[in-house]
Amino acid sequence: MSSKSPRRSIGDLSEGTLGLLMLLPAILLLCLIVVYPVGRLMYISLFDWRMSLPNAVPAFVGLEHYIYALTDDPKFWDAVYNTVLITIITVPGALVVGLGLALVANLPFKHRWPTRLALLLPWALPLVFAGLIFRWFFNYDYGLVNDILQRLGFGKVLWGTDPNLAFFTICLVIIWKSSSFMAMILLAGLQTIPRNLYEAAKVDGATSWQCFWKITLPMLIPSMVVALVFRTITAIQTFDIPYAMTGGGPGGTTETLAMYIHKTTIDFLDFGYGSALAMLMFLVSLGATTIYLRIIQGDKE
Amino acid sequence: MSAAPAAVATHGEAEIKINRLWLFAAGAAVVVNGMFPALWVLLTSLKTEGELTRVPISYLPQDPTFQNYLTAFAAQPLARFFFNSVVVAGLSTVLTLLVSAFAAYAIARLRIRWKNVILSAIVAVSMFPLISLMVPLFQTMRALGLLNTYLALILPYVVLNLPVCILILVSFFSAIPRDLENAAMIDGCTRLGALFRVVLPLTAPGVFTAGIISFVNAWDEFLLALSFTSSMQMRTLPVGITLYQGEFAFPWPIISAALIVAIVPIAVVIVIFQERVVSGLTAGGVKG
Repeated sequence: MSSKSPRRSIGDLSEGTLGLLMLLPAILLLCLIVVYPVGRLMYISLFDWRMSLPNAVPAFVGLEHYIYALTDDPKFWDAVYNTVLITIITVPGALVVGLGLALVANLPFKHRWPTRLALLLPWALPLVFAGLIFRWFFNYDYGLVNDILQRLGFGKVLWGTDPNLAFFTICLVIIWKSSSFMAMILLAGLQTIPRNLYEAAKVDGATSWQCFWKITLPMLIPSMVVALVFRTITAIQTFDIPYAMTGGGPGGTTETLAMYIHKTTIDFLDFGYGSALAMLMFLVSLGATTIYLRIIQGDKE
Repeated sequence: MSAAPAAVATHGEAEIKINRLWLFAAGAAVVVNGMFPALWVLLTSLKTEGELTRVPISYLPQDPTFQNYLTAFAAQPLARFFFNSVVVAGLSTVLTLLVSAFAAYAIARLRIRWKNVILSAIVAVSMFPLISLMVPLFQTMRALGLLNTYLALILPYVVLNLPVCILILVSFFSAIPRDLENAAMIDGCTRLGALFRVVLPLTAPGVFTAGIISFVNAWDEFLLALSFTSSMQMRTLPVGITLYQGEFAFPWPIISAALIVAIVPIAVVIVIFQERVVSGLTAGGVKG
């Protein structure tokens, strides 16, 4: 028997052909849903294409939209600023909270399902629902947060109308929501750390604190990197939670790039400019994806 | 706990008690953090509108009522939203698993050129932010006559989940000894037969994890569902539940009731399968 294919009849395809056929569904789907639309997106972004002027012929404007966005559109830069700020605050925030959750969930409880459910439930809760629920928590008159503040002797706080506070609550909810997926990945990472490392350290007289810094954290780094990059890519696309909580208000101060693109294309029907904005967002996201791919391939070698 | 007798001797009774207390406190904190919002929604859904706007607010419903649930089903086609969500998330999960199992098998098992390039390209392309593709995707769907159909959501959701699923399955497939497949093929299985009868059953934990992640992501998705369905009959739960709010009115008890209807089934699924989700990630999917 040869070490290659054990069975090869006339009807069998060569491995190369079979491989191509098996990759075909994924490739076709990606062409339909991503590659072709990206081409369209690039094309549309070069035109003055406004659906609010239905009878006008789209006029070619070249890179004008890009130049306008980058040099002359303060709303674009505000949206970029908000998106970057949300990313910088919520990605590390979710990592720290997620690590705490994972460490606790990994403790030797008699029943594991309550902590597991608590870990997985925020993950499975649609973002919009999280936004709605917390919007109610932070309601001025009847919200639980202001109620507790009052009972503790503090005054009520206008969470929704102060731009900074509104931004703060949005970040808080994003951290709450996204820390659960972080925790799951980190918990999976925790469970792959060999037990005997800890036992050996204990024999050498290491404290729990030393074990955490010298064993747990270093061993978790691969999981953390994967979780961080995945989270960063989704943070750049933040839409649902601010949309449900503030709708971008007050006065556009919590509007993210995705919300600005949505508003430009869907509400104002300015397809040309909206497409240029979307291309800019794609470029940022491509940067994050490239880093991610480097990491995966670094892992394989 | 299986502490060695030596450990008990050095730690002493009191210390063990304190440790238990800490353990309980930490667990309780995690449980409250994860479940309190849902619990509060449940309590709110049992209150009347009048009780909700009383100051100071009441924590437990004074006069529990199920009226909000009846109103939630009557005011909007909630059952239909639910059905749509199950169909879209379910079908897109099955399709995602099929497409990514084929692709992952080709990458992990077959001798083809440019393996890493193909894998990277597929992952990179499917990570493209779908939000930014709204306009051309909308036009594509309209051209294909797919607006207001399940397919308009299912196809993008498959793409949304491809990178994670392919990465998880590639690492699971690579870990299976080739001999098992070869043996099956000697017994008369084709390659595809070996994939379905040997490889997939053996990698069930990975397939399961990939499936759950796909289902939840599709169940969650909001923006595309909002944009590609305009008919009331085609709305999914995330979009449908935002429809209860009026321009100024926010009927919280009714929204809460609708939220509970949407949350409880997925919570039940999680309780049943929680162990598998994490163990599937553990078994190798995480590092790619």
